[in-house]
Amino acid sequence: MDWNDVWILYRRELRSALRERAIVVNSILMPLFLYPVMLWVMFTGLMFVAGLTERANSRLVVLDAPSAHSDLMDTLRGRPSLEIREDRISADSAEVLIRVGRLDAVVEFLPPAAEARGVEENFQVLIRYDRSVERSRRASDRVESVVGDYRRRWVEREAAVLEISEVDQQQFRIVEDNVSSGRQMGALVMGMLIPLFLVLMVALGCLVPSIDSTAGERERSTWETLMTVSASRLSVVTAKYFYVATLGILAGVLNVTAMFVSLGAIVGPLLADAGAGPDAFQFSLPLLALPVMIVAAIALALFFAAAMMILAAFARTFKDGQAMVTPVYWLALLPILLGQQTDQTLTPAIAAIPVANAAMMIRDAINGVFLWPLIAETLAVLFVMVAGCLLLARAVLQFEDLLMGSFDGSFWRFAKQRLRGSNVTEGTR
Amino acid sequence: MTEAASVRVQALQKSFWDESRGEIRAVDRIDFDCRAGEVFGLLGANGAGKTTTLRILATILNPTGGTASLNGHDVRSEPEAVRRSLGFFSASTALYPRLTGRETLEFFARINRYPADQVSRRVEELIERFGIAEYADARVEKLSSGMKQKISIARTIVHDPPVLIFDEPTVGLDVMAALEMQSVIRELRDEGKTIIFSTHIMSEAEKLCDRIAIIHQGRILALGTLEQHRQATGQHYLEDIFVHEVMAVEGSP
Repeated sequence: MDWNDVWILYRRELRSALRERAIVVNSILMPLFLYPVMLWVMFTGLMFVAGLTERANSRLVVLDAPSAHSDLMDTLRGRPSLEIREDRISADSAEVLIRVGRLDAVVEFLPPAAEARGVEENFQVLIRYDRSVERSRRASDRVESVVGDYRRRWVEREAAVLEISEVDQQQFRIVEDNVSSGRQMGALVMGMLIPLFLVLMVALGCLVPSIDSTAGERERSTWETLMTVSASRLSVVTAKYFYVATLGILAGVLNVTAMFVSLGAIVGPLLADAGAGPDAFQFSLPLLALPVMIVAAIALALFFAAAMMILAAFARTFKDGQAMVTPVYWLALLPILLGQQTDQTLTPAIAAIPVANAAMMIRDAINGVFLWPLIAETLAVLFVMVAGCLLLARAVLQFEDLLMGSFDGSFWRFAKQRLRGSNVTEGTR
Repeated sequence: MTEAASVRVQALQKSFWDESRGEIRAVDRIDFDCRAGEVFGLLGANGAGKTTTLRILATILNPTGGTASLNGHDVRSEPEAVRRSLGFFSASTALYPRLTGRETLEFFARINRYPADQVSRRVEELIERFGIAEYADARVEKLSSGMKQKISIARTIVHDPPVLIFDEPTVGLDVMAALEMQSVIRELRDEGKTIIFSTHIMSEAEKLCDRIAIIHQGRILALGTLEQHRQATGQHYLEDIFVHEVMAVEGSP
């Protein structure tokens, strides 16, 4: 193999690709704009919907309100977010009204449970609501909060009458203190989003170029032209492989950069506006995370490029290629789902699962966790997979019918046929 | 004659395997050689084995038997050297649509190892020779088929190879474009190139080829100058010569 030939071929591939709309859209524009825009739309949309629900009044019907607890009713009526309807209806009809969306909740006062009857004028509250409806769920929360406050005040008053101090009354209490910093909360959000999108974007970045450089060449009849140049077959395939991997890396890096910028510039302010506070989410990365993410993107791109090109090599048309390669893109999703538990870090077992290991390694790096032996294991596993794919590609491309695109069938048919040992001719070098 | 031959083919064979039809002999032990400054024609019907033979010579396919060499380089053991000595033009050797004409020529010159410091000069020379300056910087996808054809011929000879293969180069071309192609081939022959030209159009072979091999079902039935074919068959027109040779093998219709 001549590296000068590889360089000439690689530049030709890249120059053509950067003039192809489908490749520019998939490998550059989508990573750069689509997902950050989607992220912004998603957050803005969620907050808009949450705001609408927050502003909407909760429509309630109260049944059998106890006269001894008129304060509670006054409090309920006094809340601007609660709209108490004075309808006199049965519990059953109220339930029907909730189901059809004309009521958000029904608050029904019942006699106390048997064990609580000793306390004078005690009661229990049954809140009927529809958990599948956000507005109804919110109504239930609002009523529960008012009743809870009333109960606390009532218990305190009764305790005072009985001369029971607050300490004796509560015995122990729970105090919460969130020790996570804004930086850690930001890392939590980035850790959920960036590994997922990096893997997907690298795979997406490889998808169209892998088909275009194999099946696309055949469809355009440029494959035979390429087979007549003086460069070796190995140089031609190597240049194509590096070109596909380059666009995968480009897509991944552009996407991470765009997402990182959008998290800081768009999502951060949105979260602050939503009440999280100005410093609740800080989006910054440890310095070492950058090289780790770039190395992961390179390893993933080399792996996806090899796997996709092997499958695309069996296609005669771009359409065939899409059908053959797209499953790899979706398969890439499965291992990432393994790494979606946010409190999990890279373990020796996860480091042995391709793709999932890279996603987890990236998330650890975002969180400032660098488990170097496991990072080494992850990269070793990914590069072993790459080497396996390249060996397979080399074995497959030795067959003349595949090299010339005259084989009619998929990778699986080819493997089955060649394992049976059909008559085949070795391809030219 | 064989001493000066720049293309030599001996007992060349190519078989394909088809699951339903078994072994198919596309090329069946053929022999021929061609010299510099000669247009050697392979004349045969569709499926006769012309393209397979030429693809073996261009090292696109591997032979299953026999030998072939171009400019002294064996197609099996020195495929890269063979390709450096060769320009291959066929209906299925398209151009990269997203490159300009100039970029196309530069790419093929460099990848075929034309001296790097002379690439620009060579490209300009060909742009001038084929009159493509006006659209040399337009993308190939935007050009008409006639313009593409000129760039394609320039692409074939940009690295100045001693041997040129034209596999049915006039298929799909209009009369004027086909005549222009024939004129280019004559010019190249006059420059001393070895040219192998395949066609199924008798008039083209008659006008262009110094020697003609009639190929049928993978075998060469007759080989010689037009005059030699006439003497051997007693027929005047190449079409009649071709039918005569094929019938001699197949039997009368």
